[in-house]
Amino acid sequence: MKVVITGIGAVSGFGWGVEKLWRGLESGATSIREPSVFDVEGQRTTLVAEVGPPGPDAQAEIDDLRNLSRADVFAVIAAREALVRAGVDAGGPRTGVFCGGSTAGMAECEDFVGRIVGVHPGKPTLRLLASQQLNGPGDAVARDIGACGPVIGFSSACASGAMALGAALEAVRSGDVDMALAGGADSLCRLTYSGFNALRSVDPGVCRPFRRDRQGLSLGEGAGMLVLEPLDRAVARGAEPLAELAGYGASCDAHHMTAPHPEGDGALAAMKAALMDAGLESLDVGAVNAHGTGTPHNDQSESCALRRLLGERSLEVPLTAPKGALGHVLGAAGALEAVASVLALECGTIFPTAGSTPADPDFGIDLVLDEGREMFRGKQTWISTNFAFGGANAALVIRGLV
Amino acid sequence: MTQQEKTRERLKKLIIESLNLEGMTPEMIENDAPLFGDGLGLDSVDALELVVALEKEFSIRIEGEETTREAFASVSAMAAFIDGLNE
Repeated sequence: MKVVITGIGAVSGFGWGVEKLWRGLESGATSIREPSVFDVEGQRTTLVAEVGPPGPDAQAEIDDLRNLSRADVFAVIAAREALVRAGVDAGGPRTGVFCGGSTAGMAECEDFVGRIVGVHPGKPTLRLLASQQLNGPGDAVARDIGACGPVIGFSSACASGAMALGAALEAVRSGDVDMALAGGADSLCRLTYSGFNALRSVDPGVCRPFRRDRQGLSLGEGAGMLVLEPLDRAVARGAEPLAELAGYGASCDAHHMTAPHPEGDGALAAMKAALMDAGLESLDVGAVNAHGTGTPHNDQSESCALRRLLGERSLEVPLTAPKGALGHVLGAAGALEAVASVLALECGTIFPTAGSTPADPDFGIDLVLDEGREMFRGKQTWISTNFAFGGANAALVIRGLV
Repeated sequence: MTQQEKTRERLKKLIIESLNLEGMTPEMIENDAPLFGDGLGLDSVDALELVVALEKEFSIRIEGEETTREAFASVSAMAAFIDGLNE
C-alpha cells in the first residue's frame, strides 16, 4: 500500500507556518540568533533558533490556547495547518496522532521550580507544573482536532520525530488508522540548553554542518506535523497528495551515551532498512536531507555512513542539511526536516545548507550551497536521516509523486 | 458596598492573579457568567489552583465534590459560598 503525505504544517525559527519555513530555507539564511526566552549569559554560545511572535491574527489564535505549554502550542498550530492543507476539517474515530518530543513542557516546569525557589519572578502555578508531561503535545493535538484513534508519544532524543513518522507509516499501512497526524514538537528550555553547552556540543557561533571548521550544533525549537493516509483513500476523497512516505528504518549504535559509532554502522543500517522498506536500493537515492548537526563527531560519522551507502555516488548525490538554518529542534527535528523534504520535492528545489563555507573535502559529499539547486521534477527520492544521542538512528524515504 | 459585593470583587482579583490571566481586569468578569467551559474558559487545573488560592486567602477548607461544583459555578456562587462559611 502506498502511503502519501497530504498535509504539512510547521513552526520554526523562521516563524509560524510552512510558507515562512520554505522562504527561509530557500534563501539560505539562518534563523539562529540571540534569544529572548531565557538568560543565556555565561554559556559557550548565546545563539539559538527561537520561534518569534507571530502576526496579530495568529497571536489571537495562540492566545486562545493559554492552557497549553509552548511545545503544545507549536504542535497544535502545526497540526491545524497540516489539516487545512490536507483539506480535512477534523480528526475522527480512526485518526491517530504520533508525536515525537524530548522535553515537552520542561521550560514551564523549570519556571515552576524557579518560582518556588525564588530565582524567577511570579507565582508557581499548577499550570506550569502540569505542562511537564512528555505526552503533552500529542495529547493536545488529539484534543484539538478530535482524533480518537491511538495517540502515542515518542521520545528517542533527536530521532523522535522521525520515529513518530515511522510508526505512523506502519499504522496507516496496517490499517490500524485511516489517517495519521504525525510529527514532533519541542520548545527551548534550560535543561537542554545548559546540557548541550556543558557537553561542549554547541558551536559558539552559528552551526555549520559538514564544514571543516564546525564546532557543534545550535539549538532550536518548533514543530512539524504531517498528515499521512493511504494513496487510494486520499485520491477517493479528492485530496492532492504532496509526496509519498515510502519507507522507514531504524537501528541503534549500542555504542556510547553521546558519541555516534565512528564509522556510522548504525546510521548505515537505518538507511539500508528504510530503502529496503521502500523496495528501493541505494542507487535510487536522489538527494539526502542529512542529520548534519555540525558537531565534529556527527558529521564525520554520518558522511562515513553515506560513503558506505552510496559508494562512488556520494560525490554525485546532492546533500543538504537544514540545521544551520533551523537549529537542532531535537525531538521535532525529524518531523520539521521531513516537512522541508516535502517542500523541496514539491518546489523542485534542493534548499541550500546555510553557511558560507564549502564542505570539508575529506567527507566526499556533494553539499548543496548558496542558491540551492534545481532538481528533476517527478520521481525524486529523498532520504532523510536523524541520529540521536544514545545511538538511536532513524531514516525516512520520501518520494515525489509524478 | 454589601459584604457579597466586597467578596465578589476580592474573588475577581484573586482569580486573575492566581491564574495569571494576563490582559484581564475584574470588570471583565461577570458575576453570573460560568467560570468553566464556555464562560471564562477555565479548566480542571485552574479549579485546583483556585481551591488552593481560596483556602489561603479566606482561611477556609473546601471539601466535597458536590459543594465545590456548586460553589465554583460563577463568581456570585463562589461569594455566596464563602460568605456562608464565614457567617
